[in-house]
Amino acid sequence: MEQHVYDTKYLREQDFTEGRVLFETWSPNARYAWDAGVAIGRFLQGLKAGQLIGTHCPSCARVMIPPRMFCEHCFAPADAFVPLQDTGTIITFSLCYVTWDMVSLEEPQIPAVIAIDGASPGMGILHLVGEADPKAVKIGMRVQAVWKPDEERSGAITDIAYFKPLK
Amino acid sequence: MSLLYRIEHPRDALTWEGDIPITSRYTMGLAGERFFREIKEKGQLTATRCPACDLTYVPPRLYCERCFAHLEEWVDAPATGWVHTFTVVHIDLDGQPLPQPRAMAFVLLDDTDGGLVHFLGEVEPDEVYTGMRVEAVFKKKAERTGSILDILHFRPA
Repeated sequence: MEQHVYDTKYLREQDFTEGRVLFETWSPNARYAWDAGVAIGRFLQGLKAGQLIGTHCPSCARVMIPPRMFCEHCFAPADAFVPLQDTGTIITFSLCYVTWDMVSLEEPQIPAVIAIDGASPGMGILHLVGEADPKAVKIGMRVQAVWKPDEERSGAITDIAYFKPLK
Repeated sequence: MSLLYRIEHPRDALTWEGDIPITSRYTMGLAGERFFREIKEKGQLTATRCPACDLTYVPPRLYCERCFAHLEEWVDAPATGWVHTFTVVHIDLDGQPLPQPRAMAFVLLDDTDGGLVHFLGEVEPDEVYTGMRVEAVFKKKAERTGSILDILHFRPA
């Protein structure tokens, strides 16, 4: 039987822009609402109100942030939401000279994991450090959240603009 | 004790909302390219034939679905046919109500073994029946772009 009846031709962008090939385009409506769940839902509500919130384990008394519904050490259901401070300590960080979509940066972004005051040791969230000399950032550095103004907060982790060094 | 609570309606759930931007580009393929060019340039439907199986394909196929032979015989297909099956649509692709319900049909084309899914026009949706004779109404040549919508609709013939 005949094989490859037609020569293979690759379509190039000009074939589309110059109308050499017929085509249809379509942009489906792909809006979605992802159920954040009870614990993260409450966490996001807290962010909108300018408040960090954790959960408490009744078995080992850990205070966990981000909040979760059960303690992964004890498998005990969390029994309370706990308001936390918006200060903390850098436990690890990086100087990042590219953005997430690979644009190079003169001034680095400083992503850091910040252990939050009021939560158990080592419990923290990933965020950015700002208002800081990249050379001066250190593990153990004390930082505080810089919140966006009330009207700009939407219940997102970005309701905190960044963490700045505590004087 | 736990932190669980009951909600009465899905809209009460705490959700994270987002949007995934997707734009797709669909090319017609070798047979489709020729099919739609004929519609665009001449307002003419075309078909491919498999002489061995005595089948006439609309929309045209490059290969026979029954014997897998490469099809090289192109013929003009008539713009007339009959309603094989139909439905009346009340909502659009996103679930929004249409201003007016529209009848859509699979129209089997005369002298072929194929057909097209398309709108029915110039007829009330509740007057449509299976077996109804219909014909394609083409847009004016200047308005045709090489799309299935170069056919405005099928109307009673």
